[in-house]
Amino acid sequence: MHPGTGRLKRQSTFKRFVEVGRVVLVNDGPSAGKLAVIVEIIDHNRALIDGPTTSVPRQAFPYRNLILTPYTLANLPRAAGSGPLKKALEKAGVLEKWEQSGWAKKLAARQTRKNSSDFDRFQVQLAKKSRRDLVRKAYVKEKKASA
Amino acid sequence: MARSQPIAPNVGRLSRSQVSAKRGLFKGKKTSAAPAKPETPAHTEKTVGGKANGEKRLVPTNKASKYYPAEDVRKPRVSRKTPGKTALRSSITPGTVLILLAGRFSGKRVVFLKQLDSGLLLVSGPFKINGVPLRRVSQAYVIATSTKVDISNVTVPETVNDSFFAKAKAAKSTKEGEFFGEGKEKKAFPEEKKSEQKAVDAALLASIKKVDNLAKYLKASWGLSKSDRFHELKF
Amino acid sequence: MGRFTEYSVVGRTLPTESDPAPKLYRMRIFAPNEVVAKSRYWYYLRQLKKAKKANGEIVAINVIHEAKPLKVKNFAIWLRYDSRSGTHNMVKEFRALSRAEAVEAMYQDMAARHRARFRNVQILRVAEIEKKDDIRRPYIKQLLEPGLKFPLPHRRTTSKAWYAASRPSTWA
Repeated sequence: MHPGTGRLKRQSTFKRFVEVGRVVLVNDGPSAGKLAVIVEIIDHNRALIDGPTTSVPRQAFPYRNLILTPYTLANLPRAAGSGPLKKALEKAGVLEKWEQSGWAKKLAARQTRKNSSDFDRFQVQLAKKSRRDLVRKAYVKEKKASA
Repeated sequence: MARSQPIAPNVGRLSRSQVSAKRGLFKGKKTSAAPAKPETPAHTEKTVGGKANGEKRLVPTNKASKYYPAEDVRKPRVSRKTPGKTALRSSITPGTVLILLAGRFSGKRVVFLKQLDSGLLLVSGPFKINGVPLRRVSQAYVIATSTKVDISNVTVPETVNDSFFAKAKAAKSTKEGEFFGEGKEKKAFPEEKKSEQKAVDAALLASIKKVDNLAKYLKASWGLSKSDRFHELKF
Repeated sequence: MGRFTEYSVVGRTLPTESDPAPKLYRMRIFAPNEVVAKSRYWYYLRQLKKAKKANGEIVAINVIHEAKPLKVKNFAIWLRYDSRSGTHNMVKEFRALSRAEAVEAMYQDMAARHRARFRNVQILRVAEIEKKDDIRRPYIKQLLEPGLKFPLPHRRTTSKAWYAASRPSTWA
C-alpha cells in the first residue's frame, strides 16, 4: 500500500519498516554490532543513522548492512539532532530493552565464545563432560528403577 | 650434480641441505691433530760459483711464486655488527602457558620460565604433570596462550643455562664395534638434572595447584579438530 | 571517473602589453582530482571565452567543502549531454548529503540510463531545492511523504559458515 493513502487500515505481513525513529543494528563497518536509529531516509538504498548512546557516528548507511529491530522511537521528527535523539532513546529505554532481549544475549554469548581463550575452551569441555556423565548416570539409574 | 638431478635449469631435485647431508662431508671431519712436521728453515745457504757472486747466498727453501696479482684484490670489510639478543614476542612473559608445535613434545602445553642467553625459551611441563622436562624451545615453534601461571616464587637455578642442555660428546666407536652393539649401554639419567628438575617444579606445581583445572589443562594436549578455524581462534 | 570533489578554479589569460590586467574567471568544477579539475577548467573556458591553456594561467584552485555534510538535501542538476544522435538538456533531481555526492550519483545515472560517459556530460548548474513544492520529479517527491515507511522485503543473509546445507532463501 502506498504510504499516506488515507484511512484504509494498513495490512501488511511485515512487522518492521524502514522509517524515521526505527532502531537498527549496524551489521558492517567499524561500528558493527552496535545499535543506531534511522534519523532520516535518504533514498531507497540508504538512510542517515545516528547512535549517540552507542557511539555510532551520524552517517549515511546502506540498508544492506543494517538489520531492523522491533524497536521504534515514536514521534521522532525528521532529521532530529543528536541531543534530542539521545533524550528520546533514554526516555524509551531502548538500550535496556535490547540488552534484555534474547537476540542481544545470543550475540553477546557468541562474542564471548569467540573471544574465549584456550584455557576457557578447555574448561567448557570439562564442564560438558561432567554434564554428560551426570545425565548418563541418572538415565541408567532411572532405567534400572523402571525395569 | 649426480646426486641432485636437475628438474629444471639450475634447479636441482634436492635442496642445499639435502645435498650436503647426502655428501656427508661432515663425517670425514678430522678431529685428531696432524703429526708435527719437522720445521724447515726459511732459507738455506748455498755456495755459488763466479767471482762476483760472493761465494755464498741465502736461498729461500720455498720459491716465491712468479705470479702476483696485477691489481689489488679487494678484501671484504669485517663486519663489526654483533648479533643482539633475540627479541621475545610480547605475548610471551614468564609464566605464560605455551603450546609446543614441533618436536617430540608437540601438542603439549608447557610453562615458560625464562629466556636463555641463546635466545631460546626455557620451559618446563612440569615433568610430573605432562612429562615435559626442563627444555629449550625456539619461540617460532610455539603458540603463546593468554593463560599465565604465577611463577613469582619459582627460582630457576643459575646452573640451568644453555650448557646445561649441551649434549656430552660421545666417545668415538669403531664401525665394527658399533655393529655389534659395543658401547651401547644405556646411560643413566644424570642425578643432578633430576634434582634440578624437581627443585624447579616443586614451586611451579604449588602455584599450578592453586588454580582450578590448570593442572588438567597442562596435562591435556592440544590439537585442531575438524570444526576449528585456526585463523579465528584466540589463545 | 571516481569519487568527486568540488573545486573552485580561478584563471586568466597571460597579461600582455595591450591588456596588462586580464579578467579573472572563476568556475566551480566537479572532478576526481586537481589535475582533472584544471583540465576541465580550460575545456570550458575556451568554449566560453577567447582563452586557452597555452597562453593562460591558473591563479588559484581550492576545494569547496560541503557546509552541512550531515544534512540530507535535495539537489537539482541541470546538465547537457551528447547522446549518440544529438545534444540534449536535462534536469535531474537527487537526494544526497553533499553537492559532490549528488554529482557522482548523476554521472552514474547518466551512464546507466543513457550510456553517457563523463566526457559527454556537461554540468550547467547544481542547486539545492529548499522548498518542497519546487521538487519536480516524482521519484524524489515520494521520499518526502510525511510518515514515509517501507519494509525491506528481499533480505539476503550471508552465512559465516564454510558450507551451507541448503541454499539461502532471500524471500519470505
